[in-house]
Amino acid sequence: MIVASDVSLVYNDHGREVFACREVNLTISGKEFIGVLGPSGSGKSSLLYLLSGLKDPTDGAVRYRGVEFQACDDRRRAAIRRKEFGFVFQYPYLIGFLSALENVLTGWANGAEGVERAADLLERLGLGEKMHRRPDELSGGERQRVCIARALLNGPKALFADEPTASLDPKTGEEVVRLLAEHRTGALILVTHDRRILSGADRVLRMEDGRVFDD
Amino acid sequence: MRKPLAPHVFLLRNLSRTLPMVLVIGLAVLLVAGIVSLVNSIPLSVRSIYGYSKAFAAALPRNDPAYLPELERELQKSPVPIERVLRIRVAFFNVRSIVGKLPFVLHGLSSEDAAFLRERLALGRLTGRLPSRNAPEAVITRRLATNLRLDIGDALLSPADPQNYSPQVVRVVGIHEGDLWFAYGDFDYVARHHLPPVDDLLIVAKDQRAFDRWAVEHFRGSRARILTHEELLRETDDSLRVLLQLLSVVIGLLVVVVTVMIGLFINIYLGQRLTEFGLLQAIGYTRSFLARRASAEAALLVGMGWVLGVALSVGVLWAAKVTLMDPRAYYLEPLDGTALGYTLPLPLSVLAASLLTIQLRFRRFDPVVVIERRVA
Repeated sequence: MIVASDVSLVYNDHGREVFACREVNLTISGKEFIGVLGPSGSGKSSLLYLLSGLKDPTDGAVRYRGVEFQACDDRRRAAIRRKEFGFVFQYPYLIGFLSALENVLTGWANGAEGVERAADLLERLGLGEKMHRRPDELSGGERQRVCIARALLNGPKALFADEPTASLDPKTGEEVVRLLAEHRTGALILVTHDRRILSGADRVLRMEDGRVFDD
Repeated sequence: MRKPLAPHVFLLRNLSRTLPMVLVIGLAVLLVAGIVSLVNSIPLSVRSIYGYSKAFAAALPRNDPAYLPELERELQKSPVPIERVLRIRVAFFNVRSIVGKLPFVLHGLSSEDAAFLRERLALGRLTGRLPSRNAPEAVITRRLATNLRLDIGDALLSPADPQNYSPQVVRVVGIHEGDLWFAYGDFDYVARHHLPPVDDLLIVAKDQRAFDRWAVEHFRGSRARILTHEELLRETDDSLRVLLQLLSVVIGLLVVVVTVMIGLFINIYLGQRLTEFGLLQAIGYTRSFLARRASAEAALLVGMGWVLGVALSVGVLWAAKVTLMDPRAYYLEPLDGTALGYTLPLPLSVLAASLLTIQLRFRRFDPVVVIERRVA
């Protein structure tokens, strides 16, 4: 489904080349749960941005269902991210002036019945009573669950989670990973520096200095 | 809420940010509309106060009473048929206007000429009576009575009033209820007691505007002065030209100040919403969608400000008209089209500045930079 071929991403840091990713080859298929493990600065997040089309590689290519991201214009790429992918970031980014339900609805891309589906998802994620509350009325864990609902709303083929537990306490973090794994509708690519939360992963990749190794 | 990203949602749920901007735009529109309406009330006042002059042209011999018969003969050469020529004498008094006192004419008329003009000017129902022969008496119209706060029996001219002087107290004996401003008294009294000791002529033509144009051209450079309604309006416009030019400069400066201020506000607010825009782009909204959404929000904000400003203007000017202007028979148009026209550059330039700000913000917007910054 998602294939990365010899993908490298190089940053220019004051004239010095820094490899965020180096010659990565990776294939993600079906409903795989892939954990990406590594210390800070190892290139985990960059890999996730490359695989999801948020960033272009300096070398190599990332293909989604055979289509190379770099060949897609902004509109096509955005459509893939919106309709086929889901995202959960380290910080539970929500729009402050929208309720939990409305925040979930910002992820909706498929027609009219989004409200019922979003409400159902929030119910299943344990936020049925709080779906009309604003983000500042929710705890960190609750906000992250709203982000998960938003990411799951379209039944994504791939769910990208970038350190989704980093800003949460260990218990809430485990709960968030459990919800992600349980409710996903496609592949789950979860980036973390915490090995414990990857116990349910089908595959764990380790990153060091931009290189990917099978763990 | 089926469309949480609709432009009005941000505006309505962030009133602490949007209301001040709407208010600033609204107050600026009120300021512009108010100033222009007040300035426009000057020519409006002149047109209204001297509106009677549409009905006739005045011909005045310059410093030579002996020229009058020749002047009458010259007038008969008019290609435009003349309906009647009236011999009058004039006395002057002041009326009050928004720009201070303006001179007004007490027409000294024979009873026949007075009857003709009452009909011609449609002065309306008369309360009281007509002036008696050779008596210090005057008839005025209701507007004039309101403006000078006079009623029947009050003095219009007086020996004790240097600005409205007459050797005897000239009292109001009748008030016409029509809308026109007009004052008349007895020809003999005015001729005997007021300078200059020269008869003037009022010429009533079948086609007054055509006659006025002919007379102005025909007597140009002659020993007679021709006064017409169009000349009066032209002189008013000339005298206001510099004021209007200054006003345009002031309004221009105001537009620039408000535009820069709102542009900066919008830039700051966009900066505060980078996380929102970054998140939305990351989860699949295009840059052009986000720019269109921000532009629609700005357009809505500016539109609301303008509508508020127009509503405030109409309300404030209407209140001023009812409470301050009408009781003094001053003129003010609360729905002045010119004033509203002057307000348009304000929202348009604010919108243009906002759209430019938005375009600059989104031109190189990278959601990853925002997401990685990890700010709330």
